Amino acid sequence: MADNKQVVADIDRSLYDFKDIENEKDFYRMEEGLTKETVLKVSEEKNDPEWMRDFRLQCLEHYENIKMPNWGPSIEGLDMARISSYVRHKSDMKGKWEDVPEEIKNTFEKLGIPQAERESLAGVGAQYDSELVYHNVKDEVAAQGVIYTDLESALHGEYADMIKEHFMKLVPPTDHKFAALHGAVWSGGSFVYVPKGVKVDIPLQSYFRLNAAGAGQFEHTLIIVDEGADLHFIEGCSAPKYNVANLHAGCVELYVGKNARLRYSTIENWSKNMYNLNTKRAVVEEGGIMEWVSGSFGSHTSYLYPMTILKGDGSKMEFTGITFAGKGQNLDTGAKVVHIGERTSSVISTKSISKDGGIGTYRSSVTIQKTAKKAKASVSCDSLMLDSISRADTIPAMDIRTNDADVGHEAKIGRISDEAVFYLMSRGITEEDAKAMIVSGFANPVSKELPLEYAVEMNNLIKLEMSGH
Amino acid sequence: MNTDLNMKVNVLPVFTYNFLHVNDSAINASDIEIEKLSSPKPKEVPQGVSLKSEVSFEEAGQIFRDNKERILSSTGVPGEPNGDTSARDKEQALRTGMGIDVDNLMNSLGVKADVYTVEEGVKVEKPIILSYDMQDGDGALSAHVIHARKNSEVTIIMDITSDNEAKGFLGLSTRILAEEGAKVTVVRSQLLGKEFVHFDDLGGACFEKGAIRVISLELGGKNVWTGCYTNLSEKESDFTSDMGYLRRGDHSLDINYVADHRGKKTNANMQFKGVLMEEAQKTLRFTIDFKNGSSGSAGDEQEDTLLLSQDVINRTMPIILCQEEDVDGRHGATIGQLGEDLLFYMQSRGIDEEEAKRIMIKARLESVARMIPDPELMQRVHYYIQNIV
Repeated sequence: MADNKQVVADIDRSLYDFKDIENEKDFYRMEEGLTKETVLKVSEEKNDPEWMRDFRLQCLEHYENIKMPNWGPSIEGLDMARISSYVRHKSDMKGKWEDVPEEIKNTFEKLGIPQAERESLAGVGAQYDSELVYHNVKDEVAAQGVIYTDLESALHGEYADMIKEHFMKLVPPTDHKFAALHGAVWSGGSFVYVPKGVKVDIPLQSYFRLNAAGAGQFEHTLIIVDEGADLHFIEGCSAPKYNVANLHAGCVELYVGKNARLRYSTIENWSKNMYNLNTKRAVVEEGGIMEWVSGSFGSHTSYLYPMTILKGDGSKMEFTGITFAGKGQNLDTGAKVVHIGERTSSVISTKSISKDGGIGTYRSSVTIQKTAKKAKASVSCDSLMLDSISRADTIPAMDIRTNDADVGHEAKIGRISDEAVFYLMSRGITEEDAKAMIVSGFANPVSKELPLEYAVEMNNLIKLEMSGH
Repeated sequence: MNTDLNMKVNVLPVFTYNFLHVNDSAINASDIEIEKLSSPKPKEVPQGVSLKSEVSFEEAGQIFRDNKERILSSTGVPGEPNGDTSARDKEQALRTGMGIDVDNLMNSLGVKADVYTVEEGVKVEKPIILSYDMQDGDGALSAHVIHARKNSEVTIIMDITSDNEAKGFLGLSTRILAEEGAKVTVVRSQLLGKEFVHFDDLGGACFEKGAIRVISLELGGKNVWTGCYTNLSEKESDFTSDMGYLRRGDHSLDINYVADHRGKKTNANMQFKGVLMEEAQKTLRFTIDFKNGSSGSAGDEQEDTLLLSQDVINRTMPIILCQEEDVDGRHGATIGQLGEDLLFYMQSRGIDEEEAKRIMIKARLESVARMIPDPELMQRVHYYIQNIV
C-alpha cells in the first residue's frame, strides 16, 4: 500500500532562488550586530529628521529590555550579532525602469515585476535589500491625488507631519521585541495616501527582495485610505536561499477611514533560511472595510498574525489565508481582531497544509470588548495533513466581554478523505487526479480571492504532482 | 493548620499570546485554614472493590509511576508543538489537568489519599458515593486514586454541597487508571456555597479499550478551578466528558481539559454547556492532542455558552494539536445570547423573554444533570437548578 501513497511535491522555489552576487564596489553593507552606533549609522544614512533619530534610539532601548516571546516557534537560530541591518545599492531610487542598475533590474525582470506593472498595476514599488530601488505610479492615478512613494521621501516632503502623526502609532515599539527592533533599524517601504472619495480601480504593488546573505529587511509600509476611498494593495516577497539566517521584521500600518475600503493581499515566498517576524495592523473607522488575503509559502520560521482593530461602528473585517508548511518550515500564522465599535463584524477563514515534516500552526485571537454591541465574529480554520511526519496545530482564542454578540468558531483537522477519492474514482477520475482535485478544492477559497495573476502564481506554488503505482 | 496558597494551575499545553492572560491561572489565597486532610468514606464498599485508606499522596501515586513508561508509550515519534509546556509537569506521577502545583500542595501538607481498587472482571452496579457535606468555615483537601483492573467497571459519585451562604475551601485530587477494557465513570456534582473557594483536579490513563467518562456540574462556589488530563495510552481507549456550569455574581470558573491521544483508534469527546450571568467570568481551555502514532483516532470538542449579562467575561481556547495524518479532529464553539429567531419562536408560543431564558438555562444544565446515575442526587440537582432560575 505504501507504494500507492500519493506524493505531493514540495513547492518549486527555483523561480525565486537565483542569487546575484553583491560586490563591495556597488553595494554598501553595514557591519553585523545591533548597537547604538549601528542604529545611529542607519539614521545618518537615511538622513532622518531629529525626532526619527531619537525614536530609533528609544526603540533600541525597548528592544534590549523586551524578552523573546515564550509562545511561538523557536528562534534560537537567529543571532542578531550575525545579521547586517542595512544593505543598499550605492545608486539612488529611480523613477524610470531603464535607470535601475542592470543587476537589480535583471532580478526583478526574472520575477516578472515590470511586466505586471505594464499589464495590471496602477503603481509599483520595488525594494532590493534595505532600500527602494524603483518607485512609479501611473499618471492617471497620481492625477487623482493618490500618493504612492517611498517612506523616506515622504518624511521630508509635504506629508512629513502625516507620517509623524501615524508612524508606529498602531504598532508601538513596546508591542513586542521585533516591533522594537523594527523601530530601531527600519529602512525602505512605502507610503500610500488615498484622498477622500477616491477609488483606485487597479491595484498598487510593492515587491520586496532580500538578496544579501545574513541580512535583515525592515521595511515599513504606511497606508492611509481616507473617508470613502478604496484601494487594493498587493505585497510580494522573495529571497534566494543561503546557509545563514536572514531576518525579515517589517511593519505594516493601515488606517482605513470612514466608509473606506482597503484590500491588502500578500504572497510571501521568502526562502527557507528566512526568519519572518513581521507585524501588520489595521484600524478601521465607522463603516470601513478591511480585507486581508494572505498566502504564506516561504520562510524557515514565521510569526505572522495581521491584526485588525474595528474601532468605528459598523466596521468590517475579512481575513482569508492559506499557509503551506513544507520540509524544514515552521510557519506560525493566523489573525487577530479586536471589536470595539457597535455592529462590527469579522470573518476569519484559513486553510493550512502541512507536509514533509513541516509545522503549520494556526493561531488567532478574537476579542469582543464591552462596547461592541451586536458584534458578530466567525472563525473557520481547516488543516490538511499530507503525511504523519508533519504537524498541524490550531490554537485559537476568544475573549468576549458582552452578551450582545454572536461568536461562532469551527475547526477541522484531517487528511484527504478516502471516501471522496473513491467517489471521484467511481465517476471515472483517476486516483491521482482525484487527490489533486481535492487539494485544489481545499485551497480554492483563498485562490479565488486573489487577483488572477496571483492566483496563477499561487496555483504554481502549490502545484501538486501525484505519483501513483 | 493555616496556609498560604500560591499556585500556578491549568497551564495550557502550548503557550499563546500573553496579552490574553489565558496561558495559566493563579490560585492565590493567604491564611487559608485547612483542617481536614483525608477524604469522606462511602457508606459501603461494594464487593470486588477494595479501599486502602490513609495512604500518603506520594505512595498512592506509585501505581502510575510503575506504569509510567506504558502510559507515555507511543508507536510514533512525538515532537513538540510551538510553545510546548509539557516539561513543567514531567515530574508528576500522572499528569493532571491542573498540574504539578496541586501534587506539591498535597504532598507538602501531608494529605492522605484513599485508593480504590476494582478487581479484574468485576462490574460494580451501584455507584460508590462520596459525600462532601461542607460546613461554613471548613477547609479540606482530599485525594483519591481509582484503579480499575482489566474489564472491570465502576462509577464514583462526588456529591459536594454546603449551605448557600457558607464560606470555606475544598481542594480535590482524583487520579484514575483504567486497565484493558475497564470503564471508570466519575460524576462530580458541585453545589458549594457562594463564598467557597474550590479546586478539582483530575488525571487519567487508559490502557487498551479502557474508558474514562467524566460528568461534571459546576453550579456553586465563588472561585472554582477544575482540570482534567486524560492519557489515551493504548488503542481504542476512550475519554468522554460532559460538563454543565452556571456562574453568577462575581464568581469565576477556570477550566483546563486535555485529551492526549497516543494509542491508535482512540476517541475523545468533550462537551461543555454553560451559562454566565451578572458579572461572572469563565475561562475554558480544552485541547485535543493527536500524538504521532495515534492513527485512526477521533476527537471532538464543543462549547455552547449562553451569556445573559452585559458584564460577563467569557474566554475560550479550543486547541487541536496534531502530528498524525489519519485522524479526525474538530472543535466548535457557539457563544452569545439567545438568538432572535429562537426568541421570536418562543414568543409566538406565548412564552415571554424571561421565561424563554429560564427554559434555555434549564435545558443546558439539565441535559448534563440527567446523566447523573443516582436518582436521589439527580433530583437534588434538579431542584437546585429550579431554585436558581
